[in-house]
Amino acid sequence: MSRQITVLYFAAASTATGLYEQSISLPTDTDPKFPLASLAALLVSLHPNTGLDKVLESSQWSVNAEMIPESEVGSVFLGGGEEVAVICPVSGG
Amino acid sequence: MAYPSTSTAAREEWEGGTCVLTYKPLDVDAIMRSVRDDGAGATAVFVGTTRNSFKGKVVTRLEYQAYSRLAIKTMVQILKDARTAVSRSTHQPPAHNVPSLISCTVHHRLGAVPVGEPSIVIAVSSPHRKEAFVACERILEDVKEKAQIWKREYYEGVREEEAEWKGNNC
Repeated sequence: MSRQITVLYFAAASTATGLYEQSISLPTDTDPKFPLASLAALLVSLHPNTGLDKVLESSQWSVNAEMIPESEVGSVFLGGGEEVAVICPVSGG
Repeated sequence: MAYPSTSTAAREEWEGGTCVLTYKPLDVDAIMRSVRDDGAGATAVFVGTTRNSFKGKVVTRLEYQAYSRLAIKTMVQILKDARTAVSRSTHQPPAHNVPSLISCTVHHRLGAVPVGEPSIVIAVSSPHRKEAFVACERILEDVKEKAQIWKREYYEGVREEEAEWKGNNC
């Protein structure tokens, strides 16, 4: 059974992909869980030649509405059901 | 203009203040009144408005979107951090046990904000002026650094599709 996550795109990421959100099936060959550190490459493969790769280089991740510090990305694994957002450099205020 | 379904209006209250994301115009007077307290000797207010220029280009409007579910949590934490960080007034003798901030609020507008209109309003009430000023500035800087809100600038003579998404520290 395939595991799905919801990826949210904002700002430059949504301009690059043309999407605000996308349901992604996690590869079934990664067992038991999919590393967050591999998600960027997966998204870029789904959106080639859009500039998404550059956006992701300067972006952070949130998982289920919690920011993931850079230093912890390597220890986060997705099992399906998560809401993952691309948090590109913010500009509120 | 379409917005992400996650860029919703939101409101979160905690005992030290209120955070709001809204598509409606910001009512500065109402926001200021919301932190009113008879124990306050000082109320500091910051209003950020859309400026008509950026690096020589004429700005026609700004648009904001947010990951509201996360942005509102971040904004509440910013208010909590401000309350913790802003120390007891230097006007008070050490034995005096007075809270340094009474109430803080931050309202951020989403969607299109025309030139001259407020995009963010912060109000802080405090027994004393120093804490109110310090907290107000700190809240603004923290929102700019951390809140999951994005601004797009539209310039005169530039096609809408090419309007730039800004990053605060880029």
